[in-house]
Amino acid sequence: MNGAAAAAVSVLTRPIARIPEATRRRIGLLLLVAFALGFPIFHPNDADVDSMANAAAYATLALGLNIVVGFAGLLDLGYAAFFAIGAYTYGILTAFQLQPEWSSFWEPFQYLGLVAKMPGETGDTSVVHFTLSFWLALPLAAGLAAFFGILFGAPTLRLRGDYLAIVTLGFGEIVPIVVRNWDGLTNGAAGLNGVAAPKLFGWSFGVDARPYYYVAIAMVALLVFVSIRLRDSRIGRAWMAIREDEIAAGAMGVDRTKFKLMAFAIGAAFGGMTGVFYVAKLQTATPEMFGFPVSVMILVMIVFGGIGSVWGVVLGAFVLQLLQSWWLQDLTEWLHALGRLVGNMWLQHVDLVPSIELIFGFILVGMMLFRRQGLIPAVRQQAALSLDQQHAEVRRGGFTDLKLHGLGGDTRTGAAALEIKGVTVKFGGLTALNNVDLVVPNGGVVAVIGPNGSGKSTLFNVITGLVEAQEGSIRFHGEELMGLPDYKILEKGVARTFQNLRLFPNLTVMENALIGQHARLKTGALAAILRPPGTMAEEKQAREWAMEIFSIFGNRLVPRVGQMVAGLSYANRRRIEIARALASRPRILLLDEPTAGMNPAETLELAEQVKSLNQLGLTVLLIEHKLDVVTTLADTVFVLDHGEVIAHGRPDEVRRDEEVLRAYLGRNAQAAAASVA
Amino acid sequence: MLTRREAAQALIAATAIATLGKTALAADKVVKIAMDLSLTGADSEGAVRVRNGIMMAIDGSNEGNGIPGVRLETLALDDGTPTAGQYDPAQAATNARKMVSDPDVVAAVGPQMSGAGKAMAPILSMADLATITPSSTNPDITDPKFAQQFRPGGKPIYFRTVTTDAYQGPNMANFYADVLHVKSVYILDDSGAYGVGMADAFQKQAEKKGMKVAGRDRLDPKGADYTAILTKIKSLNPDAIYYGGVGQAGVKLAKQSFDIVPNVIKGGGDGVYGPVMLSSVGFPAANGWYATIASPHTVADNKAQSFVDAYFRKYNKAADDYTITAYDATLVVIDAIRRVAASGKPITRSAVRDAIQTAKVSTIQGVVQFDENGDLKDRTVSVFQIKQDTSARPDDVSRQYHYIGVAPQA
Amino acid sequence: MTTYDLLLQQLINGLSLGAMYSLLALGFTLVYGIMELINFSHFNVFMVGSFIALFVLQSFGLSGQDVILTGLPLVGVLVAAFIVTMLFCGGIGMAIERVLLRPLRNVKGPAAMITTIGISYILFNVILLTVGADSKNFPNPLPAIRYHIGGAVLDFRVILIWVIALLLMGTLYLFVQRSRIGKAMRATAQDVEAARMMGVEVDKVILMAFFLGSALAGASGLIFGLYYNFTSFIIGFTAGLRAFTAAVLGGIGNVPGAMVGGVLIGLIEAMASQFIAAAWADVIIFSILVLVLVFRPAGLFGRIAPSKS
Repeated sequence: MNGAAAAAVSVLTRPIARIPEATRRRIGLLLLVAFALGFPIFHPNDADVDSMANAAAYATLALGLNIVVGFAGLLDLGYAAFFAIGAYTYGILTAFQLQPEWSSFWEPFQYLGLVAKMPGETGDTSVVHFTLSFWLALPLAAGLAAFFGILFGAPTLRLRGDYLAIVTLGFGEIVPIVVRNWDGLTNGAAGLNGVAAPKLFGWSFGVDARPYYYVAIAMVALLVFVSIRLRDSRIGRAWMAIREDEIAAGAMGVDRTKFKLMAFAIGAAFGGMTGVFYVAKLQTATPEMFGFPVSVMILVMIVFGGIGSVWGVVLGAFVLQLLQSWWLQDLTEWLHALGRLVGNMWLQHVDLVPSIELIFGFILVGMMLFRRQGLIPAVRQQAALSLDQQHAEVRRGGFTDLKLHGLGGDTRTGAAALEIKGVTVKFGGLTALNNVDLVVPNGGVVAVIGPNGSGKSTLFNVITGLVEAQEGSIRFHGEELMGLPDYKILEKGVARTFQNLRLFPNLTVMENALIGQHARLKTGALAAILRPPGTMAEEKQAREWAMEIFSIFGNRLVPRVGQMVAGLSYANRRRIEIARALASRPRILLLDEPTAGMNPAETLELAEQVKSLNQLGLTVLLIEHKLDVVTTLADTVFVLDHGEVIAHGRPDEVRRDEEVLRAYLGRNAQAAAASVA
Repeated sequence: MLTRREAAQALIAATAIATLGKTALAADKVVKIAMDLSLTGADSEGAVRVRNGIMMAIDGSNEGNGIPGVRLETLALDDGTPTAGQYDPAQAATNARKMVSDPDVVAAVGPQMSGAGKAMAPILSMADLATITPSSTNPDITDPKFAQQFRPGGKPIYFRTVTTDAYQGPNMANFYADVLHVKSVYILDDSGAYGVGMADAFQKQAEKKGMKVAGRDRLDPKGADYTAILTKIKSLNPDAIYYGGVGQAGVKLAKQSFDIVPNVIKGGGDGVYGPVMLSSVGFPAANGWYATIASPHTVADNKAQSFVDAYFRKYNKAADDYTITAYDATLVVIDAIRRVAASGKPITRSAVRDAIQTAKVSTIQGVVQFDENGDLKDRTVSVFQIKQDTSARPDDVSRQYHYIGVAPQA
Repeated sequence: MTTYDLLLQQLINGLSLGAMYSLLALGFTLVYGIMELINFSHFNVFMVGSFIALFVLQSFGLSGQDVILTGLPLVGVLVAAFIVTMLFCGGIGMAIERVLLRPLRNVKGPAAMITTIGISYILFNVILLTVGADSKNFPNPLPAIRYHIGGAVLDFRVILIWVIALLLMGTLYLFVQRSRIGKAMRATAQDVEAARMMGVEVDKVILMAFFLGSALAGASGLIFGLYYNFTSFIIGFTAGLRAFTAAVLGGIGNVPGAMVGGVLIGLIEAMASQFIAAAWADVIIFSILVLVLVFRPAGLFGRIAPSKS
């Protein structure tokens, strides 16, 4: 864009920009709703309304898949299977397909309006005709699809992303084949006959496109609402944590199995509902409607619109679906008209419709090369910080103004917090930890030092459940941690940071800290959607608690809570990781080289902040290379070498230990040091 | 770019005539015949053949001033979508609404697929807009049992210039039993609605006739390898194979069965009657295959031959059976419009529908008349066999398929 | 046919099918091993390969099943067809990598995979719109020699396919194991960054992987044509999907795993058609895949690769 045009645009948009963001959004939404409601009135073309209804159905499918792929990051290439399950659930239960013989068993169902009595083929017998209501079928199919979502998801949980893709693809292939071959149930390839149109208070939708359109629009609105509510809740944050970093998500208390299955189930439920709508509108269903191309197309819609972006995937679905069913044909006619106007033979006879798949291919490739984030990106540009906000004051002497209630648990003195006995970890032939004993007293600060490869991080991994030990026991306030999954260990009050930073880079600082509180919050999927007062209060408190934690670091994080983590400085990211761990209200904090990469002033600042935390009652276990930090903070130091504890004691004692010097510096250096001494 | 070129040629012809008509007979009333075909995806080449058949009939009428005072135009709609990768019933339903929303459309030809037909029929019925399908054979759509579903408007609107699976399959079973004296048969289908329907109907009648059904299996039309299933068939040693399905799987079946079970009797329905079976299978593999078509074959009549030759001259490609049924369907529609126009009544959808219902039109496949449900009255099923005629073009259907006789009625 | 003959015949059928899947699976595995990318364009590079082979054979004046070649002319035509097809497909593969995938090399998420889906659409439709949707007859210049082993029949074509497949796979295996660039490929598969630091030209290695994989896809396209005597724009999907399943079954990224996986899938398909029904073959193949992955998440021969994230 050249300067003049940019200026013109800014003149035009300035009045809009002056309207506050929230108001602007509300106006936008209002216009959108008005357009959606008014469309069939100001454009009363039944075919185009029908195209819009189909596009809306694809939008709901895209929203469902977006939960699985966009939010939870699980690549699903067989999503159409759930679409099929929903479609055939309603189809079978309203079409002339299953007609068991009539018996008194069916009478209560007849009373409920779920079945009707029909004369059979041969005179005197009667058969059952299922007449499930459309409105009942929606939740029923959603539930059934969710069940299959869990069933198909379960075997894939251990698989890495791409294996997951092929297994889901396999299920996506299996479902239409089963539908085709099980013709007693589904009428097979010939397709269902007589799927009932929905009825509302006795009035049948029939073949008029408009009522279907409004139902579809309502479904899109509902699922957009549900998607947004889920995204901005504990549930959505857990999904995104899994997407960004599975290991960190587990260490922050997210039960990956449960939340992955939940994503599969909710995504599948959307698909199942859409299936009911689609088959009710079409009044037939054939196995070909649910093949691999459909799964791919829904995925393409998501990518085109903006993966993970709720409004983006809706837009993507509408654009791509309308392109094939409506616009391309019109475009071809316009080209012909243009050709006649300018006398160009090629333009008069070009037909774009058969080339649509080719056009799709080019759109896809082009989007990936030039606009990967999609039409409406999920991640918006961040507002820049003011100079004032960027200015960070170095705070010395830790903090004294914060109380941080709930940190460190109730018992601040007494017996050992963490007791490690005889822990041995082997990786194949390599012994990473050999019979390690270590005690962290309640309320104490213990440092673990040792050369690279001595097993320090492995020790942390064993404590937090990332690595399995062959022998030994790890007791935390008397409870055995060994054998517990990572998220349970966090629930017990053990939080950690990682040596190489495992933040959730595409989430904000605040979201990172909120994920840290995952185990302490209770909001379930239903509460996340409905937001009862209890949930609102919980969310508010969670944010307040996060802000309180951030203020440990003065104004370094507080102005940046809305920023993406990926764009922040290394030292700040270290602080965020500590804040995230603290947000979980741990009783013990495991810090893996917290000051790595910080300059001396920042190092000292952080050391003092940790000290203050300890004074508030938090027990700390620390891996650190910088001996001044160790001396400042630790009551006790354990030295690891080749997986064994070679010394422990007060920092000054350990510093003089010969074995430690040897391990750290090697024999010659030790000799040199001795000669200097 | 053959398909494109063909399409362009058809359009050039249509536009040339249209512009000619415009200038010459500016006062002509324009009525439109809509068509719904699967021009995108796996069936596109067959769809082009059907469209060409329709266009030949319409061009013929416009050129010869077939309906005085009326000029025919088309509304060509494609029910194939990338979303489905082939025909898409949802798009077919949208297309049915497009036909209904265009006030000039008085009748339609299509769809090709029964799955699309099931989605379209209720919508067309409510608008009393008749369509004649050249190739969709699923009996449910015209079955009075499902009248409430597929013709909620009351009158039949779904007519066919092909018979349904309910006749071709069973009659061929009779032919197998009575003429070929087949004792045991292995039945295959190609997973599609047409193929499964044909094979099911065949199987039912075969069992009734006391033939031993050695087995029944299903081919994946997108797959390539049928050697394993053919080896299984070889081990069962049946007298014959019956294949319900179209050329996509049929071509591979013919090639591979020639290698593995060369001496078994092989046959199918009108899905294996066409140039694809000849050009893609090649000789000698194609030799000996039986095929049926759902219309009488009059040996003395060379209408079919001259049509096929004219088609080849125009498009430089071979026509198939559905080109002919599409051409015939269009002739019936044109005849109906002509009779309505001649009677002086306004050319409305209802009037054209009623005229189609009472049609008695001489076409390539004989006289077309419909019963009260929209199905062909004449349910003759003719049997052909492929025997190489080296003097003719290898893909010339009318010379490579030899007429055997009429299959006994079931 | 005795049960023994039947089993032997189905074994022959399954092995022929498996040979093709193996060749195709190698392309998936080579690219995946290095880039962790599911390359959907591979499906249709294979399909394009069969059409290129068709054009090459037609340019030798071969069409239909009328012309049978023997001796030197046969070898000459086949060698020429293989070389042209493999070079052409290898070129397509390199172009795909160089032009469309390289800009996405360091992009996280499914962007590259989606691009390959887009490429697949393009290749598929270019063939559909130019050649048409109907199946095309593929020349068969091979002499119809059949060997009878009991009641089972072993066609000369089948032996030829096995020999060519084994030759190609053996060459590839030796190339990857022994040659300089092969070693560089394996190093890159282990750790891109480390390989780069050790002086491996990663760009070249990836380009090579695409070339080799696509050339093998082209070769399997030609073999497909010779074996089934037809080709069509639609053959890529089913064969590609089975081959991809084979690669995963064997442990994707593992070259011998892909070969064994291909043969296994071929055998499963044949046996499923024999003992259950062809209609359920896909369901059986995918069910076995799921079961294998549940108990061995890295496939039969794969080890859990270090995560590159």
